[in-house]
Amino acid sequence: MNWLVDYQLDRNRRVACHECDALLVFPALKEGQSLVCSRCKQRQFSLRKNALNTTISYSICAFVALMLAVSFPFLSFSASGQARTINLLQASSEMFEQGFYAIGALVFLFILMLPALYLGCLLLLTLSVSAKTNLMSPVFLGRVMSFILPWAMAEVFIVGTLVALIKIVELADIVIGTSFWAFICFVVLFTLICNIANKHQIWQWVDRANQR
Amino acid sequence: MQTNDSQIQNNVNAEQNTAVEYPRDTAAARGLANCHVCGLVTPVEHERCPRCNSKLHLRSPYSIQRTLALVITAMLFYIPANTLPIMTTTLLGKDDPSTILSGVITFFEHGSYFVAFVIFAASVMIPLAKMMIILWLCYTVTKREKVGKHELSRLYRITEFIGKWSMIDVFVVAILVALVQVSGLMTIEPGAAAQAFAGVVVLTMLAAQQFDIRLIWDKQK
Repeated sequence: MNWLVDYQLDRNRRVACHECDALLVFPALKEGQSLVCSRCKQRQFSLRKNALNTTISYSICAFVALMLAVSFPFLSFSASGQARTINLLQASSEMFEQGFYAIGALVFLFILMLPALYLGCLLLLTLSVSAKTNLMSPVFLGRVMSFILPWAMAEVFIVGTLVALIKIVELADIVIGTSFWAFICFVVLFTLICNIANKHQIWQWVDRANQR
Repeated sequence: MQTNDSQIQNNVNAEQNTAVEYPRDTAAARGLANCHVCGLVTPVEHERCPRCNSKLHLRSPYSIQRTLALVITAMLFYIPANTLPIMTTTLLGKDDPSTILSGVITFFEHGSYFVAFVIFAASVMIPLAKMMIILWLCYTVTKREKVGKHELSRLYRITEFIGKWSMIDVFVVAILVALVQVSGLMTIEPGAAAQAFAGVVVLTMLAAQQFDIRLIWDKQK
């Protein structure tokens, strides 16, 4: 069993499988390769080519897309001469007006606030790694990101919107606004970013930022 | 008093550490803890992760108890989520409250079998299946000697992955409520079931996060 690790080994070279807790040596992974657990065959993580720069550029793009998504009309609905246009924020603010505060807050958090916060933290971290100056504690950023990630649901919201459209498309004329397409771009970029900047990669950056 | 308490806690911890035998080759067998926040592997005696300062545990403490508590709460929320109306459509002054199931039936009667199936799967079957899977995982981990590790791991991974996709229904209601507000002609108002349903989703997600899948792999047989 050559993957068994010496207890004394450097802390950055040992990993424990998050599923079965097998102790693995972190091999000298080349970019584009991934580590697979030898006990439960679960993929642990992979390293991407040029991850830092890709993450920075994708994050900036995603931010621009998000700005577009909140500032343009999302959908409009017209039936027998009456029309109504909504923007993205109204999906949650309308719930507040109806007195459903809990759902309004959840929708706002899950589709806008948490994804934006995650991107902001990631951008701060990656920029401080590449610019070699820390604006905020990298460890704090890393912790915030690891708590936020399971709760970012922008992609679920897109599918929800599609289902809602199916429900009302026969009742009225629906016009899809700029914000809808911008939000789809945001979701695609966000998924790509989460794939490139995985947990292991993020904490490697935190270590790099902390070493200064 | 305080020292007494912490002593008892230490004894309990010590007992737990010695009573459970971890399989060879695992980090826990060597007293190494995998930090649940940053993934750093360090000796558990550190108590706090040297990198991110989170508390270190070999296994999540009281994982089964916490998971069960959350799943049972989610099951209680699941009842109003299905019996109360999820939204009320007012068409030309006539109120028409609809539950999740009645929405599915309407689509079915209109011949949109695919949409009916998607909504039925996403909002009735998946949440129920998720809660059943989590209960089954808790049961096998505590009561069964022999378990199919790969199969249970796969079940857990699926549960964790589809967790947030059940929010679809709540988002549909949010969009419809915001969009369909043509006064006098047609309005849609949210119903109490939407809140209960959001509760089910959040609670099952928390339950899945609390469950420590490594307990399954700790089984020696």
